[in-house]
Amino acid sequence: MKKNNTALAQGLIRCHDCGCLAQRSVVNCSRCGSQLHARLPNSFQRTFALLLSGLALYIPANLFPIMTVTQLGVGEPHTILGGIIALIHSDMLPIAMLVLVASILVPLLKLLGLSLLLLCVHYRWQVNAKRWTQMYRIIAFVGRWSMLDIFMISILVSLVDLGGVAQIIAGSAATAFAAVVILTIFAAKSFDPRLIWDVQI
Amino acid sequence: MNIKNYLACPECDLLLQRVLPVVGEKIHCPRCNYLLHRPSAESITRTFALSLAGFCLLLPANLLPIVGIKVLENYHDGTLLSGVLTLFKEGMWGVSIVVFLSSMLFPILNIVLACLISGHLYFNRPNRYLSLWLRTLQHIEEWAMLEVYLLGIIVACVKLAAMAELKFGLGLTAFVLLLLVTLTLASHFDHVLFWRHIEQLNSHEKK
Repeated sequence: MKKNNTALAQGLIRCHDCGCLAQRSVVNCSRCGSQLHARLPNSFQRTFALLLSGLALYIPANLFPIMTVTQLGVGEPHTILGGIIALIHSDMLPIAMLVLVASILVPLLKLLGLSLLLLCVHYRWQVNAKRWTQMYRIIAFVGRWSMLDIFMISILVSLVDLGGVAQIIAGSAATAFAAVVILTIFAAKSFDPRLIWDVQI
Repeated sequence: MNIKNYLACPECDLLLQRVLPVVGEKIHCPRCNYLLHRPSAESITRTFALSLAGFCLLLPANLLPIVGIKVLENYHDGTLLSGVLTLFKEGMWGVSIVVFLSSMLFPILNIVLACLISGHLYFNRPNRYLSLWLRTLQHIEEWAMLEVYLLGIIVACVKLAAMAELKFGLGLTAFVLLLLVTLTLASHFDHVLFWRHIEQLNSHEKK
């Protein structure tokens, strides 16, 4: 692959915020005033750190109860997986699949995909960069949909607040899960896909 | 070479000649297929109109009841705000702040900033904060997650439908409308055009 057709090879930097080009020696963008960097600063280290924190929190997010449903005085804690199984048992398979994809598969595949991207950049793997950039785009796009579970809990706790008759209380896994989602969104944001292209020879 | 005639792909850094697409055309990066520019007709006017419409929907969507449930003659309804407050009261302040930001504050800021920016451009008023506003808007855009929240409402309703009677409120209508306005706004918002206009306005002011 030709290396001299990139902006950086021509001594130019693209502003992250407004997209205009500037010479490498310029510090602040002349149009919007934001700081110029050829690549996102410390992209690899930041993504790696955020990814590790996300991975660590993924464990409590799945082990602890995400909410407790109390009906007529009888409390029943649910984990994320337990909630999905309960949905399957009550014959709501499509919704169960939706929750399974949004709150288990997407975070897991995101953690895996970001690790692959980091490995690719670190070990300078020679890959089909176009395809890997596409993978990065999918990872960046699907991240927000994992918030589904958190929003659902927020609605449920405010709705089902009927004292002794029925009540839903959020559990400790909700915080861990929200943190996983936010951390992986930040991880995807701090990864610079141009690094994939930079390591190709 | 004049760097104004060139642009770089944000995802693969390929240096390209700047071309001005007409409305309806899409320009993709030839190397990584990134969507570089998709101009929209009357981008500034439409953004201004849509953000004004969004402005009217902000309060009803945030404060009116979205759904109510009835269990054994007990009626209770929930709004966007009450979900945040209940979580906070239960001591889940972390989750509560995340929900507050992504379903209330950022969508509101999104509309307000789009209104301010397009209003200034529509009436040709220079303002030294314009580029700061647009930068902020670009950063908060992806943290406003109304469409995900709507899916959350649907899943919660399906779960509750088995155990209680559901009643949909006016807040839900306002919320769906706000979501539609926000999505249309995002698709008509031409960042390249906005940046160019801001540059022109501010350079006229300096003279």
